[in-house]
Amino acid sequence: MVAHVSAPGGFEVPLWRAVAVYRVASLAYVCVVVARDAGRYAHPLVAGALVLLMAVWTAVTAIGYAVPARRGWPLLLADLAVVLAILLVTPVVMGRAALAADLPTLSVAWLGGPVLAWAVSGGRRRGATAALVLGAADLATRGLLTPSALNGAILMLLAGVVVGHVARLAVTAGERLQRAVELEAATRERERLARDIHDSVLQVLALVQRRGEHLDGTAGELARLAGEQEAALRALISDAGPAPATDAPVDLRGLLGRYASATVSLSTPATPVPLPPVVARELAAAAGAALDNAARHGGGRAWVLLEDEGSAVTVSIRDSGPGFAPDRLAEAAAQGRLGVAQAIRGRMADLGGTARISSTPGSGTEVELTVPRR
Amino acid sequence: MSGVRVMVVDDHPMWREGVARDLTEAGYHVVASCGQGRQAVRVVAATVPDVVVLDLQLPDISGVEVIRGLRAARPEVRVLMLSASGEQQDVLDAVKAGATGYLLKSAALAEFLEAVRRTAAGEPVFTPGLAGLVLGEYRRLAAVGQPRSTGRGSPPPRLTERETEVLRLVAKGMSYKQIAERLGLSHRTVQNHVQHTLNKLQLHNRVELTRYAIERGLDD
Repeated sequence: MVAHVSAPGGFEVPLWRAVAVYRVASLAYVCVVVARDAGRYAHPLVAGALVLLMAVWTAVTAIGYAVPARRGWPLLLADLAVVLAILLVTPVVMGRAALAADLPTLSVAWLGGPVLAWAVSGGRRRGATAALVLGAADLATRGLLTPSALNGAILMLLAGVVVGHVARLAVTAGERLQRAVELEAATRERERLARDIHDSVLQVLALVQRRGEHLDGTAGELARLAGEQEAALRALISDAGPAPATDAPVDLRGLLGRYASATVSLSTPATPVPLPPVVARELAAAAGAALDNAARHGGGRAWVLLEDEGSAVTVSIRDSGPGFAPDRLAEAAAQGRLGVAQAIRGRMADLGGTARISSTPGSGTEVELTVPRR
Repeated sequence: MSGVRVMVVDDHPMWREGVARDLTEAGYHVVASCGQGRQAVRVVAATVPDVVVLDLQLPDISGVEVIRGLRAARPEVRVLMLSASGEQQDVLDAVKAGATGYLLKSAALAEFLEAVRRTAAGEPVFTPGLAGLVLGEYRRLAAVGQPRSTGRGSPPPRLTERETEVLRLVAKGMSYKQIAERLGLSHRTVQNHVQHTLNKLQLHNRVELTRYAIERGLDD
């Protein structure tokens, strides 16, 4: 996490620049104040020297904070120490009389520099810490509590908290942007791969299957394998990218897509069929159970049809088996088919849906799963 | 088979040659084979094929554009689409643009030749997958058509109960013969129902395209 804070080109770069600009601008204000009030200070020449020191330190921090590697504790502590020292000598330089007249202190707004630097470097808590240290020192050295001094301290505290908060937001936003960029790059790469595979491997596999399937023995077997791989690879490259958030609707087409193979044909609408994740998973699992059953008793091939009727979603599974007459349910039970059927019915009932199982001799067994949309 | 003229459009040279050879061996007259969509549209008028076997994913223009170009140059041409990866929206768009048949490239040779024969005879060739797409498209049109039923645009086409029944059975992998037996219809009637579902969709598509063109002032 922290590594991102100093990543080049992050959102915090403009914040550091803003801190530097603030320090230069507040220094200019200090110059104006000192030029105006110098006559009333106890030691005007020392005040001039202090302003010079402040100018030098403004330059040092502007250059220092510009480089991410130097934004560590040494510079932050030195910054606070230098400003604290200037603050502590201020009452002596100004003299009792000037303080009692409630003249602005020598360093006025320039005190805020380290508060902002601490806030940008480490968030609200650091900003508040620096503000409390400087504010307490300011109030203590004056020896008396004037409204303007208290105002200054409170404003500094607020600035530290707010700027710290904004700095955290900027870092978080930077990290999110970084993740989004990475995700997009990965998606692009995946799409490029999918295109390449589609243009080369899929075509050749399909060709191998087509030209070899009517051959006997090993060659025919190889062709059949090529066909299965073609279907698997096709499902893989058309699979929808990374998993979405846990409670976002799931496109049922994607979940059913896993069952498609050389022997299982899948028919769906061209548009997504969104369902709550739990419903989609359960429905897909029920369809999978029906397909397993079809593979055991069916006779090789199976067809899955997904229909979205708006108020309900229906998945039908048909196999190419011999089927059974309605009056032979007992026999079906004996074959172990009904157990699976009951399990599927239970699953669908939990979802508030229904499972209809029908069969006609000669056209296979059909399972129709329907779930209402709420 | 003799006398049926076929054009093969596919950017994969091995496929193109393989398909052309299979068709020639089966007695078809392969009049042209192209690797690009624009080229196919250019030569269709000169080579007058009855059937175009078209790979949906070509390097230059989309399958829909190829089909529109082919039908503009030769309205009576019939298009059988092949695709390797079954991009569903592409397949549906191609059917709406006027293709009458669709087959996955992994289909068996016998299945492919039967599809070409039926396409040449003017019969639609539906895979179960295509039936599922068409069913979904009618439901989508009905759903988006409802709120603006009083507004502009032609009313969405609807399937009759019988047509829905037939399409569902096709989508579940039943042959026309099996469907005819189950519903007590003739083979011919089943075929007509399937043909109707396609015609209504293509007609609606043409009307919508024209309306769109007029609205945008593109009607020239």
